[in-house]
Amino acid sequence: MKPTSPAIEITKLTKQYRGEKTPALRAVSLAVQPGEVYGFLGPNGAGKSTTIRCLLNFLQPTGGSARILGQDSVRESVAVKRSVGYLAGDVALYPRMTGQQFLDYMAALQPIKRPGYARALIRAFKAELSRPIGELSKGNRQKIGILQAFMHEPAVLILDEPTSGLDPLMQEVFFGLVRDSQARGASLFISSHNLSEVRRMCDRIGFIRDGRLVTEMTLADLTRSAAHTFDILFAESAPLDALRRLKNVTVTAGATPQQATIRVKGELAPFFGVLARATIIQFEQREVDLEEEFLRLYGKEKQ
Amino acid sequence: MWAIVRSELRQRRWSLVWWSLGIAVFVGLDVLLYITVKDDAAQLNQALSHLPVALRALFSDGADLLSPTGFLSARIYYLLLPLLLTILSIGLGTSLIGKEEKQGTIELLLARPVSRTRLLIGKVIAGLAMIVCVGLVATVVAVVSVHPAGLAVSRRDIALTTLASVLLSTLFGAVAFLLCALGRPWRNAATGVAALVAFASYLIASLESLVDWLKWPATLSPYHYYHPNDLLGGASGGKVMLAYLLGIVVLGIAAWIGFRRRDLDAN
Repeated sequence: MKPTSPAIEITKLTKQYRGEKTPALRAVSLAVQPGEVYGFLGPNGAGKSTTIRCLLNFLQPTGGSARILGQDSVRESVAVKRSVGYLAGDVALYPRMTGQQFLDYMAALQPIKRPGYARALIRAFKAELSRPIGELSKGNRQKIGILQAFMHEPAVLILDEPTSGLDPLMQEVFFGLVRDSQARGASLFISSHNLSEVRRMCDRIGFIRDGRLVTEMTLADLTRSAAHTFDILFAESAPLDALRRLKNVTVTAGATPQQATIRVKGELAPFFGVLARATIIQFEQREVDLEEEFLRLYGKEKQ
Repeated sequence: MWAIVRSELRQRRWSLVWWSLGIAVFVGLDVLLYITVKDDAAQLNQALSHLPVALRALFSDGADLLSPTGFLSARIYYLLLPLLLTILSIGLGTSLIGKEEKQGTIELLLARPVSRTRLLIGKVIAGLAMIVCVGLVATVVAVVSVHPAGLAVSRRDIALTTLASVLLSTLFGAVAFLLCALGRPWRNAATGVAALVAFASYLIASLESLVDWLKWPATLSPYHYYHPNDLLGGASGGKVMLAYLLGIVVLGIAAWIGFRRRDLDAN
């Protein structure tokens, strides 16, 4: 592998299922750089899992190709998987095995580099390994799914909806694990339909819809392009007319004439120009609503 | 690959224990039953000779149902042992790959550096080990009990007849395995089709001597070539067993070709 080659390189990947009229994937191209965390977002049925299943050679692409660490995902599938950790969307485990028996089985198929690392992961997730997996809750099964994907410290991690079923505390542990993996140089490809979790982990985001990669952007770009919302309490009546004259500004009058909620998209300077002429008692900026931005990209405004 | 074999056998260890126990009890009791009937063999034979030929043909390939070979064939080797082994073998054929794919656990294995070929070979080895183990139990129990029961049949012939029975049953299991390896929709039909093939094969071969038009189709039936009465009497049966083995290998290769490159079902 050349040092500059992407960790994951998907080129015009197309998948047409037999008997289906429309392709599940249409010429999707993207690249994940070494050490990058890439969020792959889209609604259910958009093609996220199909892309991942092609990367893992569970599905045969009908066009295009995918390479992981420079190796072809179909022709060099076994070699590719030496460097890959995978977590399926709705992870299926062996219900009659205990967690420990299952992890031992997975380790027999792909040796663990540092047993100490695997033990630390088990401790961090407080995984229940002595009971049969079939008796565990969804969250506890998900933890075991995460452990099997990470325990051999792969260079590339492909994770389909990894936080599904985890409680908020365990989600934090998982976000920490993602950061640690990135710090040791791993590349992560994480599919999700939840933007707020993706923004906690990812450097860059790709949006997929109807089998097409609609757009890609860095998290910083996404935040910049998103609308900002402010709740302001003026000393006198809010300058609603002056604010309404501004471009890309939506003004909602508050409960009293002194209150207003203002939503600004793009350039903020004219907005602050109006505010400079008023006396302000309280000024609060709401958290940037990436969820809304995400829905906007899909052409479906929240309202 | 060996990790897959070990894990598969470990998961099925209780099933193996119960199958072995069941087969041991079935073979042991049936052999020992001879002690109670051998003294009245002539009388019983006369009574049995009044049974319709078609009915007799369904239970044995021998004319004399109470000679040592005729008794073992009628009670164990012609119908019941192959039937039990076929149930085991079709069960294995449908679950080794099919169950993993249906449940989605196959992705866990193939996400590791394990090729589909190795996965398939590992599963086949585990399945064959199970059938061979149950076959060995049947052989050992029969070999140990025939002489105390007064059945003058050589140990070698018993071992070979059991082997033929194991191979015949495995052939039907291989049909199920192939269908599962081809994925949906074949997988859904695997048990039914394999059982139908086995039953039709048995029925056609059993009735061919009575129904003229079945003679030609019967030549396509693996059961047509299965003669435990002769095998127990010292016939070699090597070619037939080789043909069964070849059939199993061909079905196995077809399963590999079908499985190697196809899309896995989403769970």
